[in-house]
Amino acid sequence: MAEEFSTDGMLDMYLFENGQLLEQLQDMVLEQKDADCFDEDSINEIFRTMHTIKGSSGIMMFDEITAVAHKLEDVFYFLRESHPENVPHLELVDHVLEVADFISNEMEKIRNGEPVDGQAGEIVSTLDEFLNKIKGGGEGGKGKKKKGAEVPENKHEEPKQFYIAPMATSASHFYKIYVSFFPETEMANVHAYKIVYALKEVAEDILYSPEDIISDPDCAETIIKEGFKILLQAQASEEEIRKIVGVGYDIEKVDIYECKAEEFLQGFDFTEQDLAPAAPVIDLESSVEEIDSRTQAAEAEGEKEEQKPEKPAKPAIAPGDFVIKSKEPGKQKKLAKDKPKGEKASFINVNVSKMDQLMELIGELVISESVVLQNSDLKVPGLNLDNFNKAAAQLSKISTDLQNVIMSMRMVPLTNTFQKMNRIVFDVSRKLGKDIEFVMVGDQTEVDKNIVEHISDPLMHIVRNSVDHGIESKEERRDSGKPEKGKVTLSAKTEAGKVWISVEDDGGGLDREKIMAKARKQGILDETRTDSSYTDKEVFQFITLPGFSTNEVVTEYSGRGVGMDVVVQNIQAIGGSLEIESKKGFGTIMSLKIPLTLAIIDGIVMETGHSSFVMETGAIKEFVRVKEDMMIHEPNGDEYIMIRGECFPVLRLGRWYGLTEYKESVEEGVMLILEVEDKKVCLLVDKLIGEQEIVVKPIPSYIKKVKGLSGCTQLGDGSIALILDAPGLIE
Amino acid sequence: MENMSELKRQVDEEHSSERDTQKGKYMTFKSGNEYFGLEIQYVNEIIQLQAITAIPETEDYIKGLINLRGKVIPVVDVRLRFKQEPFEYNDRTCIIVINIKSMMVGLIVEKIAEVVEIKEDNILPPPSVGRTDKVQNKYVYGIGKVGDAVKLLLDPDKLLNDQDLTVVEQANEMNVEED
Repeated sequence: MAEEFSTDGMLDMYLFENGQLLEQLQDMVLEQKDADCFDEDSINEIFRTMHTIKGSSGIMMFDEITAVAHKLEDVFYFLRESHPENVPHLELVDHVLEVADFISNEMEKIRNGEPVDGQAGEIVSTLDEFLNKIKGGGEGGKGKKKKGAEVPENKHEEPKQFYIAPMATSASHFYKIYVSFFPETEMANVHAYKIVYALKEVAEDILYSPEDIISDPDCAETIIKEGFKILLQAQASEEEIRKIVGVGYDIEKVDIYECKAEEFLQGFDFTEQDLAPAAPVIDLESSVEEIDSRTQAAEAEGEKEEQKPEKPAKPAIAPGDFVIKSKEPGKQKKLAKDKPKGEKASFINVNVSKMDQLMELIGELVISESVVLQNSDLKVPGLNLDNFNKAAAQLSKISTDLQNVIMSMRMVPLTNTFQKMNRIVFDVSRKLGKDIEFVMVGDQTEVDKNIVEHISDPLMHIVRNSVDHGIESKEERRDSGKPEKGKVTLSAKTEAGKVWISVEDDGGGLDREKIMAKARKQGILDETRTDSSYTDKEVFQFITLPGFSTNEVVTEYSGRGVGMDVVVQNIQAIGGSLEIESKKGFGTIMSLKIPLTLAIIDGIVMETGHSSFVMETGAIKEFVRVKEDMMIHEPNGDEYIMIRGECFPVLRLGRWYGLTEYKESVEEGVMLILEVEDKKVCLLVDKLIGEQEIVVKPIPSYIKKVKGLSGCTQLGDGSIALILDAPGLIE
Repeated sequence: MENMSELKRQVDEEHSSERDTQKGKYMTFKSGNEYFGLEIQYVNEIIQLQAITAIPETEDYIKGLINLRGKVIPVVDVRLRFKQEPFEYNDRTCIIVINIKSMMVGLIVEKIAEVVEIKEDNILPPPSVGRTDKVQNKYVYGIGKVGDAVKLLLDPDKLLNDQDLTVVEQANEMNVEED
């Protein structure tokens, strides 16, 4: 058993971690796709990601993934170490994405238990070609084989022990160095680190305080306040050290004291006496260039050594980081803007099934709470329930809070979904030769996890459509006086318990006439209506019908007439709707309106016959009591009702579902006017029970889908009610 | 990869040996005049009859949904499933909750009998030429002898998802649509 868990767990972990890495990788690459080159952080990051994937894939014996990751790692190793000029950035982006896709694909296969059969050969050879290309003539002599072999070595070794055992060379001197910075110095820790780096050239042993100068930004303050203390063992003379430490605009003074080995071993016992005016204060007016050159030399040294003073667990800077310096000064390249680093919150990964379980349990808790609090035993007259009621109120409060917390736990931002769209815009626009600016607004909007999973595909389709059909070609745009660069905006906001996600393009817009013509050809139009009686909204809805595409040219991405209908179906399946606005020549806005959560909805509980039903509150427009004489009966059995001069089709729930003992007379029952996307219908039920927050549960798959039912829920008394689905009923 | 699947196979084998203690044991219940047996590994629990929420537009033998401690599970009336006469539910009526391929379904049965052990030698294949009602034989994969008595052993998967039946259903659905 244990073994089973360990292998499965490993595989899960592998897929999960690498999936996340790849996602981050894509985000980063896409963010910088418009820059001229990757910034140093990204190069390091991509390098590290590939290294990690290579390592874990190696362990799991996915050789092809390992090979691809290895090759890309080589490319980035070269970029990182040699800073080649003239790297075709877009080509590089393509390569990275290609590799990411390949690995994602393979991982998908692994996840589905399919054989992992992807062939890495092609990608590896294109990457080889690319690598040779960017290496150019200078390094061309080096065989790539050799490169591949030497490259990944020494990269991620455990950071070496920094404190070299003191060598008792008689020639060694021991120094205590005390550096104080000007109080206004920013990032004193970084300056301190520079000094340490510089000293390493001569140091046999070095120790400094505070120790955590790189990963702990707070220590900058300490350094300014208390100074930066270094214990150094070196053969160099005091003068040489003074030179190395150098002086900068930020260093107030440097005190160096020679001491004995015993003192050295005692560590930092800087006392006031030690700081006595033994040594002269260094002259701070030496030339800045000198210091700069020294610092650079020191950093070059650092590149080779790759030693890290801090513990490997610190995530702020991993081994191999911060070594890249920008190219020669003056040759400023356009780097992607620094993204603001968000606040570090701590996270743990929780299995979704556990969350679901918790959710379920809380749902049950809420129900059993109401069973207890409304227990019929409490209704005995003459009971003094004051204390009970107080306790009950407290209990209700806690369980409501609990419910809110679990709901908020399931909410995830749309960021990842939006990033995926970014990728699609990039791919499609490149293939089609369109220049498109992609803008994302409100990607932090939070939505229930289940919903996020469901909107990804429809959204992808809409975005693809916008890029493919919405935005015109460069020439067309120029002719119509628009900027050549098209613009696609993806935005999200929360409003009235719904999430609105819209895709807006400034392209050609929908052509009403064309759609009408096509609709007429397909015989969708109602012959009795004039063309002008169709509203724009109605006309645009035609494109969501199956087999309806006004696009004559079928492209790789869209235009086969399958799609929009599927999109609408998918959106409706999660209780959402699609609205289309468009103006010819100015662009199109497609808005998805989706519920925030699928799990808990506000519902009206009602009864017909012996069965309880629940209807989402939002779908019900009003409740009316009606009189028999308002009914209109058609000979074929259809019924209509006139309410305030408006005529609605009538649906009797009892008759529709063939229930028993429901109320036949409309005067005894209650009419619900339902409205879904401008379509209205009257539903007759026996009586209303009340309004309640309900936890939606799916109807077990064993029972085949019944039209008009979207799920079931548990009522306060533990019985089950069926949830009516307004769109299904109206159909 | 190969190593891993090898490992998995071994683990699976170990796992299945744990189940051996359950092997050969059958939960028997009465429906109509016959006693039926279900392999015990499918049986989750036995509960008393409780309120059932009917679902419209389903087969008559699917009685509806019950709430099993917060879990919604469908219940099937075994007698109706066997196309026998319906029976009045009383306080001896029980629901056997079974779990097949991680799907939970309740079976409404008249009376729970006992758990019996039937050796494989005592299980006979069902007679190929059925007696009166052929329909019944589809879900019965064997006949177990316990002393003098005979238990009809049920294949729960077939009991719930009968292929023939679905074909009929589909045909019906198509007819409805044409109407």
